[in-house]
Amino acid sequence: MPPSILLLLPALALSAVVFLAPFVWLASTSFRTQAEGSLLLADGLSFDNYIRLLADPFFLEVLLRTLAYSVITTILSLIVALPVARFIVTRAGRLKGILLALMLVPLVSGALLPSLGMLHLMGPLGVVNGASRLMGLPTVKLLGTPTGILIGLVQSFLPLMVLPLVNTLARLPADLEQAAASLGAPATAIWRRVILPLAMPGVVAGSVLVFCATFTSFVTPQVLGQGHIATFGTVAYQQAGQVLDWPFASALAMVALVMIGLLQVAIAIGSRLIRRQEAQ
Amino acid sequence: MMSLATTQTLVTRLWRGLHVLWIVIAYFVLLAPIAVLILASFDDGSFFRFPPQRLSLRWFEAATVSREYRSALGISSVVAVLAATIAVVAGSLAAYVLVRHRPRGARIIEAILLAPLVLPLIVWAIALMQIYSALSLTGTLTGLVLAHTVITLPYAVRIMHATFERIDPVFEAAATSLGARPFDVARRIIIPLALPGLLTSTAFSLLVSFNDVIVSALIAGGRWMTFPVRLYSQLRGQGVDPTTLAIGAGIIAIILLAAIVGELTMKWSRQV
Repeated sequence: MPPSILLLLPALALSAVVFLAPFVWLASTSFRTQAEGSLLLADGLSFDNYIRLLADPFFLEVLLRTLAYSVITTILSLIVALPVARFIVTRAGRLKGILLALMLVPLVSGALLPSLGMLHLMGPLGVVNGASRLMGLPTVKLLGTPTGILIGLVQSFLPLMVLPLVNTLARLPADLEQAAASLGAPATAIWRRVILPLAMPGVVAGSVLVFCATFTSFVTPQVLGQGHIATFGTVAYQQAGQVLDWPFASALAMVALVMIGLLQVAIAIGSRLIRRQEAQ
Repeated sequence: MMSLATTQTLVTRLWRGLHVLWIVIAYFVLLAPIAVLILASFDDGSFFRFPPQRLSLRWFEAATVSREYRSALGISSVVAVLAATIAVVAGSLAAYVLVRHRPRGARIIEAILLAPLVLPLIVWAIALMQIYSALSLTGTLTGLVLAHTVITLPYAVRIMHATFERIDPVFEAAATSLGARPFDVARRIIIPLALPGLLTSTAFSLLVSFNDVIVSALIAGGRWMTFPVRLYSQLRGQGVDPTTLAIGAGIIAIILLAAIVGELTMKWSRQV
């Protein structure tokens, strides 16, 4: 064995044993059940957890709601991020470094500290409602509503959309827009027919990142939903951390994993098909 | 009557103006919660209300004397330093071999190493919690550091991979052919050239570990409760202690500073 392989081992062991192996464990415990009135696992394998998941409309509703939040957050992030990424690449000049640095902040701060800020932004005595009261406007209820959660999700995960877009757009020729404009294309057509198709790899990469992050998030929906709105993340967390029904939490986690996996496979196949079509 | 050319410039100007306005609004939304967090931490009252009645440093003073928060921040720091050190060392070694030796199956190895960035951490945390419980690792420092090392490792691998790809192998080859031992090549050639990457991956690992709540919340236990776990249980339960606002504002300030310095000197956004 060449000595270089030995240098790979520590990292590989950490990833394979501590990260990947638990997924196998998860798959197996999801087919177990707890003995009556106990936290210990009963003997034998069964589909009980999955049957319970599909039979109970509550969990189906939770999964559908989470799916809806993920789709909406992805679309909103894309709408907000495209002009931002375009600006950073083409027009920011000296501001470019600062604008990119600010994008990194929510990425490394995690969802918790921004949620703490959001709580004081949206709360009944918070900045938004305090300002409306000062101006004599009616107050708005944001905390504990889907709107509040969606604002928090877009804020937290916007960088996951912006950064891949910036990387893709930066590779396009700088005079692309002028070239299209000089041929008489209006701004909307330049976006729709030139920039967007060329930015597609970044759009796909960013969308997958935002979708998966939203689907599995639990801090933002928990804190901004004030415990009133159940999503996959909050329910999975509750089952694992408080109800302590680990086999059921495992089954729930497996369902999310399979949904995310299927989505990624679908997108990979889809973009390959599109590329093949374009090549012809 | 306006000529066509003037109309066109006007439309272009309007379009460009709207674009700038869009950027301002987007960054406003992005930074609003952070700004509010900082503002709220200076509010003198026990419950933040807008507009603030009086500003003071009261909660910052409370943060420095509170034993509870000092210990939580201490635990977070210890875990972050240990995890980041292991992750950067293991990640750099692996990235170096992958870039310079390109072993068979390199793509599979890379996929395994980067898996924590692709697979959902909450799903993994639910699994890890059960295994830790079986191995009695729940609520231990070892368990916490091991988990944090795994979530920071892919950042270290990816950043160091990009770093080594940018370093021309000719320097190492020259030193070796002149008779330098591998250890000296590493110490005198590779590490100095890879320093920006090493600093970037260390900073990222430290920040990601320090701020983690997804995994820690399920495995930390009472004895090694990190600051984010403490804050999260507060947010879920009895409400916000303003002292945590002051600490949160301090952490955000450090992150802001790190991000700006890192972006301006080492182009962080391109490495993530």
